[in-house]
Amino acid sequence: MKERKTCGIAVGTSGYSYTEWVDNGFYPPATRTSEMLPLYGSRFSIVELNYTWYQMARAEAISRMLEKAPAHLQFAAKLTRTMTHERDEGWLEQMQLYRQGIAPLGDRLIAVLVQLPPDYDRSTDNRRHLAHLLDGLQGLPVAVEFRHASWAVDPVFAELERRGVTLVTVDEPALPGLFPVLDVVTNPALFYVRFHGRNSVGWQSSNMQKKFDYDYSLEELRQWRDAVLKKMADRADRGVIFFNNHVRAQAPKNAAMLAGLLTGEAAV
Amino acid sequence: MFRERSILHFNVADFAVAVERVIDTSLKSRAVIIAPFAAARAAVYDMSEEAYRAGVRKGMMLRQATRMCREAEVLQPRVDVYRKAMKALLRQAQEYSPLVEHGLEDGHLFVDVTGTHRLFGPPVDVGLQVRRAVRQRLGLNPIWALAGNKLVAKVASRLVKPVGEYIVTPGEEQQFLAPLPVSLLPGLDDREVRQLRDFRIATIGQLAGLSRRQLMVPFGSRSDYLHDISHGIDNSAIAAGARESVPVDHEHIFADDTNDQREVEAAVADLVSRAGLELRRRGQEARRVGIWIAYADGAHVVRQATARRRTASDFLLLQLAGTALARAWQRRGRLRSCRLVCDDLYRQSPQLALFPETQPGEVRQDRLLMAMDNIRNRFGHGLIATGRQYPALERCCGTEANIPCH
Repeated sequence: MKERKTCGIAVGTSGYSYTEWVDNGFYPPATRTSEMLPLYGSRFSIVELNYTWYQMARAEAISRMLEKAPAHLQFAAKLTRTMTHERDEGWLEQMQLYRQGIAPLGDRLIAVLVQLPPDYDRSTDNRRHLAHLLDGLQGLPVAVEFRHASWAVDPVFAELERRGVTLVTVDEPALPGLFPVLDVVTNPALFYVRFHGRNSVGWQSSNMQKKFDYDYSLEELRQWRDAVLKKMADRADRGVIFFNNHVRAQAPKNAAMLAGLLTGEAAV
Repeated sequence: MFRERSILHFNVADFAVAVERVIDTSLKSRAVIIAPFAAARAAVYDMSEEAYRAGVRKGMMLRQATRMCREAEVLQPRVDVYRKAMKALLRQAQEYSPLVEHGLEDGHLFVDVTGTHRLFGPPVDVGLQVRRAVRQRLGLNPIWALAGNKLVAKVASRLVKPVGEYIVTPGEEQQFLAPLPVSLLPGLDDREVRQLRDFRIATIGQLAGLSRRQLMVPFGSRSDYLHDISHGIDNSAIAAGARESVPVDHEHIFADDTNDQREVEAAVADLVSRAGLELRRRGQEARRVGIWIAYADGAHVVRQATARRRTASDFLLLQLAGTALARAWQRRGRLRSCRLVCDDLYRQSPQLALFPETQPGEVRQDRLLMAMDNIRNRFGHGLIATGRQYPALERCCGTEANIPCH
């Protein structure tokens, strides 16, 4: 039997361009947006691009961003919301535009993150939509994040495995109907974890400042490492972990804490 | 301490048509022209994208517009309805910032969300939230753009018409603008666009390549402005409330080129009545009136007249416009179009004068204008006019007095 290589795990944050992170000291005072990516790259080796969710990825904008990025920095890119959350008749054509838009990332692209909305249940229509979506993204490394619990069934995992698509593991508030925390690895080439925070009250809000306001304790992260991450790392060649609790720069703080735990350098 | 600005620009394309389509959903799949069809010289107030593609433009004579787009549904303008919709649109944005600059009924909003991130999160998310709220609550679908200033936000939103969004990362303004055509820059007049074309300057990047000194030669006092906008520099603040600094600007294109003095003067009188109405709606007064005339052979002349005291009265504006027209129209050639611009604007003071400065005649004129404004606001501009706006009528009556028609 072939022996599996050691799993390399990269930790980063969902987005890097937050004015608030200047206020909270992650970036030095008076840091401009254009200076943030090099500074971010001096602390982390991977980042999840979330502005591609707000607007269609544009090759010229991605190229300009890459000019500022340190050479070691790698990327995950969110799929634009017009193909998932607010899709219209032209969503199939938009996939071509998206592929062209992210093309400059080349082999620095670790995954395309397909985040599906909370009300996206496992209906026939949605299954068909997801199948078209994954067909359209064929050839790209894809990770799918479900928010609705109805997708947490074996046939879904089996199909993702057949397609070589990564199932995103999430940490989020323990609320009914949300996708559960699972250590399932559907793609041995990559596991993908997102920490959204556990703010149960804020989660119901449409205000991001409330939704993603959470500070993980060292103990919570240690439990996660032992209960979930170790198992996933045993079954994959590589793993990426992103913190989405960006409010008050808690995401980079928690990312650094978890990175320390994984390398054994964390304060006890 | 330095802080980058975050300016959101929202634009509901073809606002009047969009509002009419919310009220009557059967209009959604049809070409629509909005014009006061009861008026003798009805001009297009707004049109749908379908009508625009067929060649219809704002200010075009309705007769010509309906020839170009025969299948279009023609609707009477309902300015009060559009204004109400504008207020509702405004309320959605004001939930996120007190600094909202807007037009009166044009569907445009600039929202300054600088420093609101601790309350509402990243500006890009505010843009999406406002758009969602406007869609859900009003049924309108605004374009939106996010940038570090009004200029870049406006150019960005022009790129995504009729639907979509555009985010320009702070610091990338110049690179963003460089490949775009100069015609996308706001604030350039036709003469400047033609001049740039003559110099073979097609893109904003080419314009940015010229120094202030180089621009000074052909553009004089405008060189600094052109230099700044081509570099994406715009430090103008968001003026909370309706836009006041923008000059009142109306244009008349003659159905056939003409050198008939009565026809030209009637057109100017019509432009004055439109400008006067807009000034009074804005609560503003002007001190200067400019007349731009375009000859059939392509020549342009611009002349101005300035008053000692500012005014929003059609009667005084007409005197200024007449002076400016006499200064501008010195050649015998036929005219193709005529444009009237009122600038040097001031806010109308709500304070009454201690000693009455106006003559009894002016008081009567003001009352007359107020009555006409009420009718126009309710039924459209073309429903009532002065005799000067009708050359045929003026010939027949042979009078200098203003005769309310219809």
